[in-house]
Amino acid sequence: MADAVLFEFLHTEMVAELWAQDPDPDPGPGVSAGPGGGGGGGWGGQKMSLSVLEGMGFRVGQAMAERLPRETLAFREELDVLKFLCKDLWVAVFQKQMDSLRTNHQGTYVLQDNSFPLLIRMSSGLQYLEEAPKFLAFTCGILRGALSTLGIKSLVTASVAALPACKFQVVIQRC
Amino acid sequence: MTVHNLYLFDRNGVCLHYSEWHRKKQAGISKEEEYKLMKDGFLAFQTSRYKLHYYETPTGIKVVMNTDLGVGPIRDVLHHIYSALYVELVVKNPLCPLGQTVQSELFRSRLDSYIRSLPFFSARAG
Repeated sequence: MADAVLFEFLHTEMVAELWAQDPDPDPGPGVSAGPGGGGGGGWGGQKMSLSVLEGMGFRVGQAMAERLPRETLAFREELDVLKFLCKDLWVAVFQKQMDSLRTNHQGTYVLQDNSFPLLIRMSSGLQYLEEAPKFLAFTCGILRGALSTLGIKSLVTASVAALPACKFQVVIQRC
Repeated sequence: MTVHNLYLFDRNGVCLHYSEWHRKKQAGISKEEEYKLMKDGFLAFQTSRYKLHYYETPTGIKVVMNTDLGVGPIRDVLHHIYSALYVELVVKNPLCPLGQTVQSELFRSRLDSYIRSLPFFSARAG
């Protein structure tokens, strides 16, 4: 079993590399930080970097969902799939389970992690809050990719109010 | 017994962090210095006023802590500051560039809590 810190360092470098070429500090849509959410202006480089990260996460998530052993071959319902993400997938990637899962039973789920491992070493509160969304994009992709392999099309966004807690919002897309 | 202050340097001599707790107002350092060289290399020296403890890693990170004379060998404390605080909260923090002064509030507050929790740290310098 590889040292979990390898993924953390690699993820750190991915974010740093993408942002090294982009001077625009304004976050794009899809991730938000703080009470009001991200600004609407400043499209372009920033949004592109978040999309690239999310896309990479998507492919990783697709593969992870295929590879993880599953006790039941077919999930009985959508909620079981979300529970699988919160338990098995989260443990495989972050060595812990999601702290809470809520739903409106109409296709929207909110997954909350109170001590998200990619944020936990940054701060405990509001320092670095603006930078936090960059470190969530890849993980949003992992969730969307895993859902995709399991036959569910979705839109995943993330938000941070105070580190290291964050929420992932999954909205099922019905065609 | 108490802790006066703490420095963290990197291999280029950049001061990464400095905190002080009980720094005595009197500036005079006694001319009599006892320099103790242990067989593992330089670990500490003391004057008649304070004791300086030193810890260096193979990567060149130096932890320097000044305490009063009542404090014994604290290599494990300095090692903890390096491995459990500096490595965990600075090296592994994506937003802390190495080689610069540490801006992380989390590092500062955890370090402060740790120092205050040490058995040889007392709230009143004595």
